[in-house]
Amino acid sequence: MVRVCIFEDEKVTDLHPLTMTRAAFELRIGMSSLLDKILRMVKGVKPSEVHLEVRGYLAPVVKMRLPEYKVNEYKPVEDTIFINARLLYAGEEVELSGEEVVAVKDGYVAYAYAKKSTLEKAGEGSVTEILSRLRGELGTKEAETRLINWPWDLVKYNAEMIRREFEWRGKGGVVPDKVEVVGEKDLVYIDPSVKVYPYVVIDAEEGPVYIDAGAKVFPFTYIQGPTYIGEKTYIMPCARIREGCSIGPVCRVGGEVEESIIHGYSNKYHDGFLGHAYVGQWVNLGAITTNSDLKNDYSEVQVFINGKPVNTGELKVGAFIGDHVKTSIGTYLNTGAVIGIMANVLAPDISPKYIPPFTWYIKGVFSRGYGLRRALRTAETMMSRRGVKLTEEERRMYEYLYEVTRKEREEYIRRSRRKKA
Amino acid sequence: MAKLTREEVEQKVKEVIAEQFGVDPASLKPETRFVEDLGADSLASIELVAAIEEAFDIEVPDEDIEKNQTVGQAIEYVIKKLEEKGALA
Repeated sequence: MVRVCIFEDEKVTDLHPLTMTRAAFELRIGMSSLLDKILRMVKGVKPSEVHLEVRGYLAPVVKMRLPEYKVNEYKPVEDTIFINARLLYAGEEVELSGEEVVAVKDGYVAYAYAKKSTLEKAGEGSVTEILSRLRGELGTKEAETRLINWPWDLVKYNAEMIRREFEWRGKGGVVPDKVEVVGEKDLVYIDPSVKVYPYVVIDAEEGPVYIDAGAKVFPFTYIQGPTYIGEKTYIMPCARIREGCSIGPVCRVGGEVEESIIHGYSNKYHDGFLGHAYVGQWVNLGAITTNSDLKNDYSEVQVFINGKPVNTGELKVGAFIGDHVKTSIGTYLNTGAVIGIMANVLAPDISPKYIPPFTWYIKGVFSRGYGLRRALRTAETMMSRRGVKLTEEERRMYEYLYEVTRKEREEYIRRSRRKKA
Repeated sequence: MAKLTREEVEQKVKEVIAEQFGVDPASLKPETRFVEDLGADSLASIELVAAIEEAFDIEVPDEDIEKNQTVGQAIEYVIKKLEEKGALA
């Protein structure tokens, strides 16, 4: 029997704010999560043999979201395939049986296979410790697969993954008669339950378009491939959904969106531009909210990750927006802005590059706002509008995150008050 | 949370207000007004309510916020709330 252990390593925090409230393998790219693609890599393995190893505070919520798998229960007592939770599987040929192997990418273990006898020799410990011993014992080879190292990697590889997963699903050519398609109809799939209103143009000249069950596409809308529209998502009238977009389930999206991922259950009802961005869950972007994704001097964009600026090496980078963020009407987000979870942003001039979690940013001033209790109440209200309940597990996770991010938040508020005075 | 005396509540409310507005707690009198004397704008008021809720583990309904215009009113309000939940010594 072979076990599969999908593990988070220490680099998952470089994917904040997106991984603050979810395990790295829950991130979306293409038409599904990283986990969905990883499971394709180990086809045939029963869910009961799949172990998910995540940060301790996330374990209860991951267990709740993915009840078919074991969470943080892994023991090295069987032959095991280890797979990094940040691994982006795009169909590469990967040998995961026979020879034992430790495959690394960018210095991190991407995947490994070890027999029970080797694992017994390596001894017990955390998965990171076990892998470190396996590296010493078995040596390493370069992995064929990629790892998601930074939030902007998700955006960078998104169009490619939509093309790949469209092929995997093999459903192209299903299009209602009256829908206008530019390019090959074989590159379009519109689920029969989708309602497409008149005067909608689907452009598959540059890549496939997949519209999932229960979605609605309102009139005068342009959807350019490669693009994926998730289940029960509404594309609002006059929207321009341009190439490289993945919009998760139950979103309401209008205005112009380009090369962006919207995780799910988020709203961008109105006009405004979103480009090269990743938007978390339960986000509401007020009308005209717009993000810059290109600097005026065409230089490489820097993004603040865990308090430090990181050069992305990219010219086009948009915003990374944590779960439950709200922006006011007319908010302008800076190039490569990072907006922490549950932040509330009113930035009619332009936002700073970084807004800490649970913080209000109002016209140049950082504030504690109405605190966690009311933030959770707002979350409950928003979720109930889509028939979803905020669970006790999620509530406890937010309470934990509110405490661990308190120091940073207070520092921003203190500095902001000094400046104001 | 351990039960607080009226004096402890008064002191703690003053500390929270002082921290919020950057003033000395000793300078706060019952008749000190949030808007006129401490310069509270709408954002500062929201923050103060959140800080008081957190400090005393109570809920302040929106309709009660307007009723508390002075430091003394806020102290009496918190005392009443703690009394209601049996947290006043």
